Amino acid sequence: MILPLFLGIFFITLQTTLFTPLSIQRVRPDIVLVLTLYLGFSCPVISGGIIAFFLGYLMDLFSGNTFGLYTFSRVFIFCVAYFFKDRFYLEGFLSRFLFAFSLALVEGVLILVLLNALNPKLPGHLFPLFFNILLPQSFFTGLVTPPLFSLFNRGLLPLSNRHGVR
Amino acid sequence: MMRIRSFFLFRKYTFLTFVVLLLLLALILMSLRVKQRKGVDFFDALLIESCSPFLKASTFVIHTIQGIFQNYVFLVSLQEENKLLKQRVVELQKEIGELRETALAKERVQNLLQFREKISLSMIAAEVIGQDPSSWFKSVTINKGEKDGVRKGMAVISPEGVIGQILKTGPYHSTVLLITDYNSAIDSVVQRTRAKAIVEGKGESRCQLKYLLRTEEVTIGDIVVTSGLNGNFPKGLLVGEIRKVEKAGQGIFQNAELAPSVDLAKLEEVLIITESSLPLQEEKVKNKKKTIGIQKKK
Repeated sequence: MILPLFLGIFFITLQTTLFTPLSIQRVRPDIVLVLTLYLGFSCPVISGGIIAFFLGYLMDLFSGNTFGLYTFSRVFIFCVAYFFKDRFYLEGFLSRFLFAFSLALVEGVLILVLLNALNPKLPGHLFPLFFNILLPQSFFTGLVTPPLFSLFNRGLLPLSNRHGVR
Repeated sequence: MMRIRSFFLFRKYTFLTFVVLLLLLALILMSLRVKQRKGVDFFDALLIESCSPFLKASTFVIHTIQGIFQNYVFLVSLQEENKLLKQRVVELQKEIGELRETALAKERVQNLLQFREKISLSMIAAEVIGQDPSSWFKSVTINKGEKDGVRKGMAVISPEGVIGQILKTGPYHSTVLLITDYNSAIDSVVQRTRAKAIVEGKGESRCQLKYLLRTEEVTIGDIVVTSGLNGNFPKGLLVGEIRKVEKAGQGIFQNAELAPSVDLAKLEEVLIITESSLPLQEEKVKNKKKTIGIQKKK
C-alpha cells in the first residue's frame, strides 16, 4: 500500500512541476488518473479505495478547486475500474488506450456536472473546454496508459496482490 | 455454521459497503467545503506541508536539468569539431549561463524591491514551487505560509500587476488562486473612464469584465486597475488591458474581455500583501495633485 501511495505523490509532483512547462495549451496526460485506474484493476478494494481517496484529496489540495471534486471523482473512477476488472481483458495497446480514454472523459463530464450542480453561476465558457482541453487531454492520458500499465505491472505488481492487468 | 455464512455474506458485500462508504465520505467532504468554502484545515495544512518538499525538490531538479541542457547538452554536436575548444566553450557557456541566470534573478529581485518601496505596503516575497495539477482550475503553490504571516484571502501581486489571492494555507506553504480561474472575482475600475466592473477569471489566460454598464465608453487598450473596494486588494493595482468589447444583444451591461498584465504562465516570484491600509501609487499621485491644487488656491 505504501509504494502506490508514494508513487501517487510522486506523480502529483510531476504533474504540478515537470508537466506544466511541457504541456501544450494546458493539455497534459493525467498520470494520477492512470495510476488510479491501475489500482482499480490490481489492488484490493479497501487499500486501493483509500489510496484513490487520498490521491483525489491531494489533487484538490494543490488545485484551485474549493469543492473537493477530485476526492469524489477519483473514488468513483476507482470503483468503476474495480467493477470492470474481471469483465475486460486489458492486454493490448488499443484496449488499454480506449479504457483510459473513455474513463478520463467520464471523469471530465462528472466534474463538469458537479461544478454545474454546486455552482449555479458557472460561466458558460467552461463547457467549450470539453472540446479544447478535455478531449485532447483524455487522448494523451489514453496514449500514456499502455506503457504505464506495463511499467506498473513490472514495478508495482510484485509488491501488491499479483492480480495485475490482464 | 451461521457465523461462517454471515462472514461470507459480509465478504460478498464488502466491496459494495466500502464503496458506498468512501463515496459518502467524499460527498460529505464536498458538502462541507461547499458550505464553509474550506476543507478540513488541519489535514489540508498537514498534507500541504508533507507534499511541498517533494514539489520543491522536483522544481529544483527540473531547473538543474534545464540548466544542464541549456549549458551542456545542446552544445555537444558543435564541440566534436575541436576537443580543446569544446572544453573551453562548455566552461564559458556554463559561466555565461550562470551569470545570466544570476543577472536575471538579480533584476527580478531588484524590480520586486523597487516595486515594494514604491507602493510602501507591507509585503512578503515568495517563490512559486508548483502549478495546478488539473486542467480545469488555475492556481499555483508558493513557499510561504501561515508562519510567515500569510492568511487566506490576501492579495498576491507582482511588479507587473495583480496575480490572484491566497486560497489555502499551510504553516509554510500556500495555494494561490489566479485571477484567470473562474472562481476569482476582483472589484475593479477602468482607469480612463473610472467605470466600475468585476474582473472574473475566464480561463486560458483571459478574464472578463462583468457588470460593466452599457453606457460606459470603454475601448480596446483601456487599462483596468483594482478599485480598492474588495478589501484585500489596495486601490490602483494594475489588473490588465481590455482586448475585446461587445455590446451585442440587450440588457444594461456590456461584455469586455481582459488580458492580465502579468504572464501567469511564467510566474517565478510573487509578492503577498499582508497589509493593505496604506494608499497606493495612484492614490498618492491623486493626493499630491489635490494638495498642489489647494496650495495654488491659497
